[in-house]
Amino acid sequence: MIPVYKPKQPRKLLLRAVVVVLTATTLGACVTSRVEHIKEGTTGIAEGEAIVIMAKSYHLGNETEAKFIRCVGDSIGRGRDGLRVIPNQEFVDALFPWFEPRTAPAETKGLPTLLSRPGVAETIKEKGVRYVVWLDGDTDKTAGGGSMSCAVGPGGGGCFGFAWWQNESEYEATVWDLDGLEDAGTVSADVSGTSFLPAIVVPVPLIARTQNKACKGLADQLKLFIVADEEV
Amino acid sequence: MVFVAALCGCGGSQVTVQNPSIPKPLIDQLQLSVAARFPTAFDNFVHEEQVIGKEKWIIDLGASNRLLFTQLFGSMFTEFMVVEESSDASDLPIDALIEPSIDAFEFSVPNQSQTDEFAVWIRYRIKIFDGEGVQIANWPIAAYGKSQTSTFGGDEALRRAAVLAMRDAAALIILQMDKSTGISKLRDASARSNSAPPPVIPTEENMQTTAAEDIPDDSGL
Repeated sequence: MIPVYKPKQPRKLLLRAVVVVLTATTLGACVTSRVEHIKEGTTGIAEGEAIVIMAKSYHLGNETEAKFIRCVGDSIGRGRDGLRVIPNQEFVDALFPWFEPRTAPAETKGLPTLLSRPGVAETIKEKGVRYVVWLDGDTDKTAGGGSMSCAVGPGGGGCFGFAWWQNESEYEATVWDLDGLEDAGTVSADVSGTSFLPAIVVPVPLIARTQNKACKGLADQLKLFIVADEEV
Repeated sequence: MVFVAALCGCGGSQVTVQNPSIPKPLIDQLQLSVAARFPTAFDNFVHEEQVIGKEKWIIDLGASNRLLFTQLFGSMFTEFMVVEESSDASDLPIDALIEPSIDAFEFSVPNQSQTDEFAVWIRYRIKIFDGEGVQIANWPIAAYGKSQTSTFGGDEALRRAAVLAMRDAAALIILQMDKSTGISKLRDASARSNSAPPPVIPTEENMQTTAAEDIPDDSGL
């Protein structure tokens, strides 16, 4: 009897792809996180009041990623308990040149001088900005190892090996209260995680999303920090 | 051919900066009648650089400097006009003539800095002449901008870094120009020379400044 070549069924291929995706998303990589805050005074936010998320100046060596700032702003503004967040570029443009990387105040003791400048206090009031949140920190790859090789031939391709890497996301948010012209406190998020990439023909990435986790943790804690009227 | 260029890393990128507009600044205008004279090299500034072992970059600032400084000075002074490159201050009914130029342009790409950032440094020079055409200030300023690759992509990130450097220069000029060059004193000098003989014309000896760019911030912040 002559063997007959049977091409692989598309359904089987689809099933294999679904299994790979499900495995990758179900098996989470290892992540540890710590989110904490230090409150300097009372906080609270009235209806109509807003906050602005800013990055500390890159003139001072800060390297907070633009996408992290967007992520925190989006997360704080989302949901039923979301706060009103003014886009930072809109705020910086409206107050040009007083919140540029070179000119932005570094400490709250500079706020009275800043607010005495022509149009500054009026613009802040018009926009309803009560809190300015300054973000500092970044995500770094701190370690990694393993090896993987991939090959492609006429009959198909595949990868074999194992790779891993460790990321650390360290961020700190300093909250300024523009009503009291004071430092309201800080919220920090420290998340570390190890990602794995085992591959037997098909690589199965197990990614530790430390930056996303830090964003979510920081945003949730900032909401509580600003809304809850408590003094520590 | 593209594949070969990519393999040997000898491709090139051209970045054109077109309209780096700045927002209307929240400042009190200086009560001065000022003109700006833009040298040809400033008007059509192009920087070319071959990053060692990598690709060649051409950064064309085009007319963006003229646009930026016209907008900037227009918002800083109560009366402002742009004059021809050959114009002389003594022929114009003005308190001051400003002539900006670029001393140096530098940039870094992610391969050099081992980050995902493009950075741009621009060193401008601002010369100021009084109504008689005497140079009273020669002020170098260093501006810096940086932008992340992941956000905007390679060419766009470098363009954005250049625009941020220009915006940084604008902020520095707004904050420091009067303190560093004494330009507002020219109004008093003009008023005195118009009202009381003998005329008091500022001399190069007593008003010339070559203030360095590293001047303490007077914003009090």
